[in-house]
Amino acid sequence: MVPYNLRLALLSLRRNRILSAVIVGGIALGIAVSTMFSTMRHAFARDPLPHKSDRVFYVRMDSWDPLKPYPGDDPNRPPTQITYQDMVALMRSDIPARQSGMYKSNLYLFPDPAVGRPRKVMTRLCFSDFFPLFDVPFKYGSGWDKKADQGPEQVVVLDEETNDLLFGGQNSVAKTVRIEDREFKVVGVLDHWRPTVKFYDVTQSYVQPPEGMYIPFNHLRPMQIRTNGNTDGWKSPPGPGFDGFLASETSWVQMWVELPKDRVQAYKDYVDAYVIEQKKTGRFPRPLNNRVTPMMAWLKEQKTVPDEVTTMMIVSLLFLAVCALNLTGLLLSKFLARAPEIGVRRALGARRVDVFLQHVVECELVAVVGGAIGVLLSIGGLAVINKWGQTLAQRNDLFRFDGTMLAVAVGLSLLAGLVAGVYPAWRVCRTAPAIHLKLQ
Amino acid sequence: MLEMQHIKKVYRTDLIETHALEDFSLHVRPGEFVAVMGPSGSGKTTFLNVAGLLDTFSAGTYVLDGKDVSRLGDDEMSRIRNQKIGFVFQSFNLIPDLDVFDNVDVPLRYRGLSTPERRVRIERALEMVGLSARARHLPSQLSGGQQQRVAIARVLAGDPRLILADEPTGNLDSLMNREIMDLLDRINEQGTTIVMVTHSPECALRAQRQIHLLDGKVVDLDAAPSLVTPEAVAS
Repeated sequence: MVPYNLRLALLSLRRNRILSAVIVGGIALGIAVSTMFSTMRHAFARDPLPHKSDRVFYVRMDSWDPLKPYPGDDPNRPPTQITYQDMVALMRSDIPARQSGMYKSNLYLFPDPAVGRPRKVMTRLCFSDFFPLFDVPFKYGSGWDKKADQGPEQVVVLDEETNDLLFGGQNSVAKTVRIEDREFKVVGVLDHWRPTVKFYDVTQSYVQPPEGMYIPFNHLRPMQIRTNGNTDGWKSPPGPGFDGFLASETSWVQMWVELPKDRVQAYKDYVDAYVIEQKKTGRFPRPLNNRVTPMMAWLKEQKTVPDEVTTMMIVSLLFLAVCALNLTGLLLSKFLARAPEIGVRRALGARRVDVFLQHVVECELVAVVGGAIGVLLSIGGLAVINKWGQTLAQRNDLFRFDGTMLAVAVGLSLLAGLVAGVYPAWRVCRTAPAIHLKLQ
Repeated sequence: MLEMQHIKKVYRTDLIETHALEDFSLHVRPGEFVAVMGPSGSGKTTFLNVAGLLDTFSAGTYVLDGKDVSRLGDDEMSRIRNQKIGFVFQSFNLIPDLDVFDNVDVPLRYRGLSTPERRVRIERALEMVGLSARARHLPSQLSGGQQQRVAIARVLAGDPRLILADEPTGNLDSLMNREIMDLLDRINEQGTTIVMVTHSPECALRAQRQIHLLDGKVVDLDAAPSLVTPEAVAS
């Protein structure tokens, strides 16, 4: 009966085009607004590594001032990053399947004068595990190996945009680029990789795009590369210069590990044991407070889903509900005007459920047509918001309408159709056939 | 075929009670063609609605085709209407958006028949009423007589045991009137029971039996034929 009911629904839509257009327009408006804000929230809230995020952990240790806790809402929270010396110690563990300390810096890149002037490019210093740990996609080549970590070898991974700038998008693997005062060999070029939330570093503005270059972490000492991210300190460095900075209690390195499920506790014990050992040397004066936090819990703790976006999504869903409820009245009058026809159908053997389904299908057809228009409007709205993103976050691809959001839009449309149509359909299916047969 | 015993139908409002049928009893044998007559407000339409399971009744028993249908649920009544009863209305009651073919198709849709079977039934029914060539016309493109023939084709396609006709020629001129009555005669000759409400003595005389309603009751059933005499028709 569904194809038959769809045909009847199409006939009904054509019968009163203006009323149909008003109803479809109402659904379209509600879907456009609700889908747009749901897409925005989805962009912030989605799991960037859905198949493994429960195995990826962010590591923190409380090496802060004994006299006062690390600043923030929660006095029990340790600093958001760790010190260089602690990162080096943690990297010695063989428990994680993958691990990487990391930070970002702004380094000078010297392109061929024919293609551009020297410029500063945000660069991430990390270990070779960074790329498989975060499933970073490659267009050409790959990341470097552990030997390059140790060297450190002068190798670099470029992002797609930097490769486009330097090499016109060609495969640049094995070519060299000059960064600061050294030549680096390109070992890999990233494919398009623009997570809305820069989930591997949410200690600063987390909507910034990923870095343009990636080089081995251990270049920090020979090249004396300072961080461009947050640095939190409570104590003067023990000595002067860069070495003093590295030996200080200043926390500025992010530490991520991928742990097999059965090794999580062992790693926590390892971190605790390390801190207890360090306490004997006078470090870590505060109570033992280490955190090995699953990725999604860490992102939640850092509030990577802005409250404003969640609020806007809720308001937009309420707006959709209001649209749907307003349409109930229109649908009711439309359906009741058709009562004589329903009387005939009932006389000819239609059950109440047949009449109900006929009208629900019509509501759902209206909802799907309105939903399709709403999705197009929503994509347009997101394009406008993305243009603002260029100003706010130096990128114009913050929000994308993906398959998940299409499914959400379809679901919302069908739900709106049901909300708007169930009562009118129920009312009309209660039509007593005898009353209307004489009126036809 | 149709046996009603002591049927009572009361319409109630806050202020008044209207007894539309009062101790109404009627027996119609299989294959009969019965005309029901009576003045306006005598209960003809209420009787037809109750007989067609379009309305419930307050008391009494109703056996249709050997089955007691006095207290059936809505779904079961719909099923019986769909499979055993055909309706012909004074104002045709075709669905204006659907063409002739699809109008005839309506009851068959609710019977769950396959597409080929429905097509065969519809084509056969349209052929019987002489409208095969108009299958894709909309009701608004047909004359009143043609529309009533479509309504009859809709009945025929369902192959019902009982046809309930409510003033089937009430909106037609005399030529069309005769055409429709001829068609009903032919259908009755093939064994289908017909109960027809009519104001027209001429039409009533085409039936095998006439009954007369007054104030919700069958009056003087045995003498009913005398109420519709050739003189009355002539007058």
